[in-house]
Amino acid sequence: MNDSTPPPVIAPSDAAATAADLAERQPIANSIAAFEAVLRQPRRIIYRLSQADAGDLIGRLILVAVTFNLLYGLVVGSFSGGVQWWAAPVKITGGLVVTALICLPSLYILACLGGSRATLREIAGLVAGLVALMSILLIGFAPVAWVFSQSTESVATMGMLHILFALIAVAFGLRLVETGLASFGGNATAGLRVWTLVFLFVLMQMTTALRPLVGTADTFLPTEKKFFLSHWWDTMDDSGRKTASQSGRAADTLVLPR
Amino acid sequence: MEAALNPPDLRELPVLLRGEPEPLTAWIKQWSLFRLALNLSVIVLGSAAFGAAMGAWRAPQQAVYTALKFPLVILLTTLGNGLLNGMLAPLLGLDLRFRQSLLAVLLSYSITAAVLGAFSPIVCFLVWNTPAMAAHSAAAQAGHNFLLISEVAVIAGAGLAGNLRLLELLQGLAGRADVARRVMVAWLAGNLLLGSQLSWILRPFIGSPNLPVEFLRPTAFQGNFFESIGQIIRHALF
Repeated sequence: MNDSTPPPVIAPSDAAATAADLAERQPIANSIAAFEAVLRQPRRIIYRLSQADAGDLIGRLILVAVTFNLLYGLVVGSFSGGVQWWAAPVKITGGLVVTALICLPSLYILACLGGSRATLREIAGLVAGLVALMSILLIGFAPVAWVFSQSTESVATMGMLHILFALIAVAFGLRLVETGLASFGGNATAGLRVWTLVFLFVLMQMTTALRPLVGTADTFLPTEKKFFLSHWWDTMDDSGRKTASQSGRAADTLVLPR
Repeated sequence: MEAALNPPDLRELPVLLRGEPEPLTAWIKQWSLFRLALNLSVIVLGSAAFGAAMGAWRAPQQAVYTALKFPLVILLTTLGNGLLNGMLAPLLGLDLRFRQSLLAVLLSYSITAAVLGAFSPIVCFLVWNTPAMAAHSAAAQAGHNFLLISEVAVIAGAGLAGNLRLLELLQGLAGRADVARRVMVAWLAGNLLLGSQLSWILRPFIGSPNLPVEFLRPTAFQGNFFESIGQIIRHALF
């Protein structure tokens, strides 16, 4: 018996959409594929987080994050040199990982309260994607950061520059988290806004808790506890005084001897 | 009523947090010892974790004391008002049995405790970064104030989340928003009354640098929460 029903005609746009869907479902085989997917195919990351191999993917994302953070830390440490060649990479990488771990439970709870059906593993995967994307973007800023670090002696300037790059990287990373939460259902917008503030606060405070990242100190970690805004203010104040005293010496040298 | 002999399943916690009406209504209507145990575990672990973070600022010993006392406040408030809440519900138009009203309140406290537990690592981090309680500099005072405000904000947010879910649950059980609101307000008023006095008796939770670390103050059973609030207001105004 012959089937006289003609096969369905797939329009070119549908074919492209189908091919795109298939591409977004391909497994992510290694860390290089994870790096590519985080940048170009975030939906592939999000889809794979719901599959059986999500644990492997999370591990690869963390590996990408650790690797690129260590490299960026070298650039940060190049400003002061010495101990900072190894201390800055260790602190930046460790600090970002600890920040993600501290903030993970609250994201899961806030997502659930917003009606999301994401599991804890999927949420952990989104956070791993966030730190991986942050780290990749920071490497993108590394040449700019290096040029500034070689051409200025101002700790405050370099600190603010690295903070600015981190904030831009966080913004892109949070887009990945937002897309992921939207795909897992529910309405976690309000919860994500709260979590964004919490994550940013913990991240900024972590940079102060692990100081110095830029500049030098007698101890690996600070002996005095400070709120990050207070530390920023003190650093800019110190920097301003140093600039004023340098300007004063420069003015003296401009006085022509009789 | 037959107890459901199903083992506890942690996947029920997200269902509780999402406030899915059908499962929650079924849980209220069908008594389960295991589900009760799961809810009690979440309340104890979540609030103990947050309590430990709060108390750690004063001393490690205070962390242990507060980890014990925070769940006690919640559980004693629930049990102390269990009879009253069970009576108020049908009087205000919601036909619930005593066990069902107790379970509804425990479900809302489970949500609150889960939120508190989730934010406890962040509070721990804040405490680690805040100058010691005894420090007297302006920066230290600013840090202290920020920590206290943060802790209050987390507790308020957690309480809000738990009570919003409770209101949704009551609306599902009553079928009428006005009945649910009446029962909610009545339960809240009773819980606030008893809970505030229990908090007064079981103080300190954070501690003071000028007072020793103790499980209970010697004056625990002298005075009450509302008297102390009144004295503070009187001192502030006159």
